[in-house]
Amino acid sequence: MTHTVVNIKFWDKQSPRMKELRFILKRMKSSPLSIVGLAIVVFFTLVALLAPVLAPPQPNRNPYMIPRYGYSPTPKPPNPVNLFGTTEGQYDLYYGMIWGTRAAYQIGVLVVAISALIGIIVGGLAGYYKGVFGEVLMRVTDIVLAFPGLILAMAFVVAFGPGLNSITVALILVWWPSYARLVRGEFLRVTAEDFVEAAKAIGCSDLRVMVKHVFPNTIFPLVIMASLDIGSVVLTAAALSFLGLGAPEGYADWGQLISLSRNYITGAPGNPFAYWFAYVIPGIFLFLFVLGWNLLGDAFRDILDPMIRRR
Amino acid sequence: MKEDLEETLLENEQLKVEDLTVRFYTYEGIVKAVEKAKLSLRKGETLGVVGETGSGKSVTALTIIALTPTPGKVEGGNIYFRRGAGEVVDILALKEAALLKIRGKEISMIFQEPNAALDPLYRVEEQVAEAILAHRRAEMMQKVEALKPKALTNRSSLRYRLPVFKRFSQQKLLRRVVREEILSLLRTMEIPDPERVVDAYPHELSGGMQQRIVIAIALACSPVLLLADEPTTNLDVTVQAQILDLILRLKKAFGSSVIYITHDMGVIAEISERVAVMYAGSVVEVAPVVEIFKKPLHPYTQALLESIPRPGSPFKPLPGTVPSLVNPPSGCRFHPRCPFAMEKCKLEPPNLVEVSPEHQVACYLHTAGE
Amino acid sequence: MRQTGNIVVTENLRKYFPIRGGIVTRTRREVKAVDGVSLKIRTGETYGLVGESGCGKTTIGKTIIRLLKPNGGKIFFDAKGELPDAPSQCVMTQNNITDAKGGRLKALRRNMQIVYQNPSTSLNPRMLVKDLVAEPLIVHKICRGQEVEKRVLEMLESVGLSSEHLYRYPHEFSGGQRQRIAVARALITHPKFIVLDEPTSAVDVSVRASLLQLFKELQQTMGLTYMFISHDLAVIEALCDTVGVMYLGKLVENADSKALFENPLHPYTQALFSAIPIPDPTTRRRRILLKGDPPSPANPPKGCRFHPRCKYAMEVCTLKEPEPHEVKPNHFVACHLY
Repeated sequence: MTHTVVNIKFWDKQSPRMKELRFILKRMKSSPLSIVGLAIVVFFTLVALLAPVLAPPQPNRNPYMIPRYGYSPTPKPPNPVNLFGTTEGQYDLYYGMIWGTRAAYQIGVLVVAISALIGIIVGGLAGYYKGVFGEVLMRVTDIVLAFPGLILAMAFVVAFGPGLNSITVALILVWWPSYARLVRGEFLRVTAEDFVEAAKAIGCSDLRVMVKHVFPNTIFPLVIMASLDIGSVVLTAAALSFLGLGAPEGYADWGQLISLSRNYITGAPGNPFAYWFAYVIPGIFLFLFVLGWNLLGDAFRDILDPMIRRR
Repeated sequence: MKEDLEETLLENEQLKVEDLTVRFYTYEGIVKAVEKAKLSLRKGETLGVVGETGSGKSVTALTIIALTPTPGKVEGGNIYFRRGAGEVVDILALKEAALLKIRGKEISMIFQEPNAALDPLYRVEEQVAEAILAHRRAEMMQKVEALKPKALTNRSSLRYRLPVFKRFSQQKLLRRVVREEILSLLRTMEIPDPERVVDAYPHELSGGMQQRIVIAIALACSPVLLLADEPTTNLDVTVQAQILDLILRLKKAFGSSVIYITHDMGVIAEISERVAVMYAGSVVEVAPVVEIFKKPLHPYTQALLESIPRPGSPFKPLPGTVPSLVNPPSGCRFHPRCPFAMEKCKLEPPNLVEVSPEHQVACYLHTAGE
Repeated sequence: MRQTGNIVVTENLRKYFPIRGGIVTRTRREVKAVDGVSLKIRTGETYGLVGESGCGKTTIGKTIIRLLKPNGGKIFFDAKGELPDAPSQCVMTQNNITDAKGGRLKALRRNMQIVYQNPSTSLNPRMLVKDLVAEPLIVHKICRGQEVEKRVLEMLESVGLSSEHLYRYPHEFSGGQRQRIAVARALITHPKFIVLDEPTSAVDVSVRASLLQLFKELQQTMGLTYMFISHDLAVIEALCDTVGVMYLGKLVENADSKALFENPLHPYTQALFSAIPIPDPTTRRRRILLKGDPPSPANPPKGCRFHPRCKYAMEVCTLKEPEPHEVKPNHFVACHLY
């Protein structure tokens, strides 16, 4: 039968995806904690993006190196020059917080993205092909997972030498197994569905089935895990920095800054909270960052789960 | 109050659903699942309820035992039920404590998926025992008492007097008594080899067997009303035949009334005495089973019967699709698909009216527009 | 109008599924889902396959289109539909698809397709209708760009949908419409042979008739051969030309539809037909109630698989498996009674 090809407007083509987005946003609005989480995450994202504006770096210097306002070991409380005060060695805390946000994002996003990628490949292949191949992959995963995370990360960092790059690589090596497990479980579930078999019946190659059919149906749990993990990764990186295994001294990294305040946690004689700003301020930033991502991750879990059920 | 309720049911009526309205508040809007539904059931009768997706039959059945699934809310109507002892209650007005005494004991329900109704972690004995002990505990304890050796001279009677041992020994006796009861119940269900089945886990049994266990649990306390929501739809045809046969025989043995929900006209013809046809949330026709098949009055019933495939004749599908229950058509919900639709049909939904003895229809073709 | 040739011929087809005891232990038992089935499907006809759960009808459908790899026997397929009746006469190399793989298997997919029972799970919930229906065209590199959209639209229109349905997700449709989308997807490469695996079981009764009408129309306009698998005998009787009855992995009876329904010969077929509830309250059918439950295909009874439930069982039934013979013209039964 003949007919004319109907010209369907671009926005109509997008309409089902728009509807989904609107649904997600509406569900988010109904839970106050989700809004709090979203607000915190948006705040930190803006800070990270606007870092050069909020805390202009000194010319010809690595912007991540915090400018020093002297060399005295005693931290100075907040004052008009140093908005948040300075820590031991007179590193400006305000600058450290702003650029530390960027550093946190860098580590967080990089580690989560690459671990997820490795995990998807390993877990995906294991879940799709199953059999002995899948089992071997999973045992390797289990072995890596059996090591206590922080200790393993420390071991890697010591082996590679301290520095932020080492931390990043170490954390990736420690974090990918949980993604592999998750993805494998999801792939197992989805490959059992009829439509995957239907895709094979059409003649799709294995690769196409995995990428176009199975994977898109597994992203929801992945998104949830990733958003919860960004907080955890940053926290672990901060712990490693605190232990001295991470960024060099003077680098804008929250963990590093808390580490610098180590000698001043007990404060001055007679005034135990004299130097509260040195550890409380980086601590609050760290805490809020992790909280924000955790709340967002929880919100995703609440929203995306019933959406899956509704289908 | 109680005396008023007595008058709502006739002498031989077991259940009457009047103007039941149930709405679901969902993200997509308000789903008007059941709209002024009317049903009535006589003592000892089997009422077949026919309906397709969206007809509201399952929601109605669940509401009869006050288990309307969330986010559903009952927005109107009454469900009058005559209990075993004779008193009449309004299910929708009862509090949870009173409902607990009715569910499982006076009204039982069996569902479509037997393996979903049985807990995979517990053996058959434990699950049937749960039903028996929930409502017949006193009766079982009496039997236990009868079994205990009484004479003081009997050494084993000591077990039942000492404080700590008493409890355990009693439990053992109770277990034995209940097990006997379960075995006899399973034999009534015509389950071969009940000794083996009683100790098995649900997944070790076939679908037909599982459904029999579910029926056993439902009938364990001899309910006066059995609600069956498509219990044989998922079973093989030969097994379905066995189960239908069983239900018919058990109904006579236990004296229960049955509401049997299905979409299969063949099953309806086999098992029902009267038939109620539901469409998009309301009951559109009620008649004795022979009348429904020989002289269907509502256009939907007629179209449904015509659409059953017959060899040799061309297929006669029903035009259109089931309407959205969020934005249902105005007036009679069937009018967009009805070949006889009139102006009147778009304005007000017709009421269910008796147009000939025992035969009720909700259609302006047969009623003078009330 | 039927051609004289066959489009599918199988010889002693077998498909087993291993029951694994664990990763290391070897497979101890096997579920003999299809155990030696020989059938032929004439070009242009609708072949009905009936049986209950566990009889292997779905498995054999999927094995014939090579979605599963057979464990034994042979499958012959000819897109031109000119296969002779006897398997021994079928050209070995060209039409033997039993071991087809790689490119040859993929090419087969253009000519053999399947429509699943449950349209809610057989369509990828995260794909738009347009992508779902267009996928076969893309996978087989049949056309690109605008041409794809044109063909998808054409196909949707022939199954009764329209352009407004293109950019939507499957869950926005009713069961009947989803099944139509699945049919459009199966037919877009203009295959010759379609396996319909209980396509109307998961939809409402009132929608069933319209789907059946669609199948019939498409068969005529596109020249298709169907293998219609179902447990709904009313539908089979109304739609199919030849019918095969399966029990526990074996084909127990095979005949023209009319002949079979008028005179079922195998005891299982008789019991099956008598078990179907008739939508007519005035006829009281003399029902043959089978004893017990259908046995498990992992452990079929020795000899004739039906003998434990058969009321005519004789001694020979417990020892030897009956072979199908032609008891009446074109009416095959596998039973020692004949």
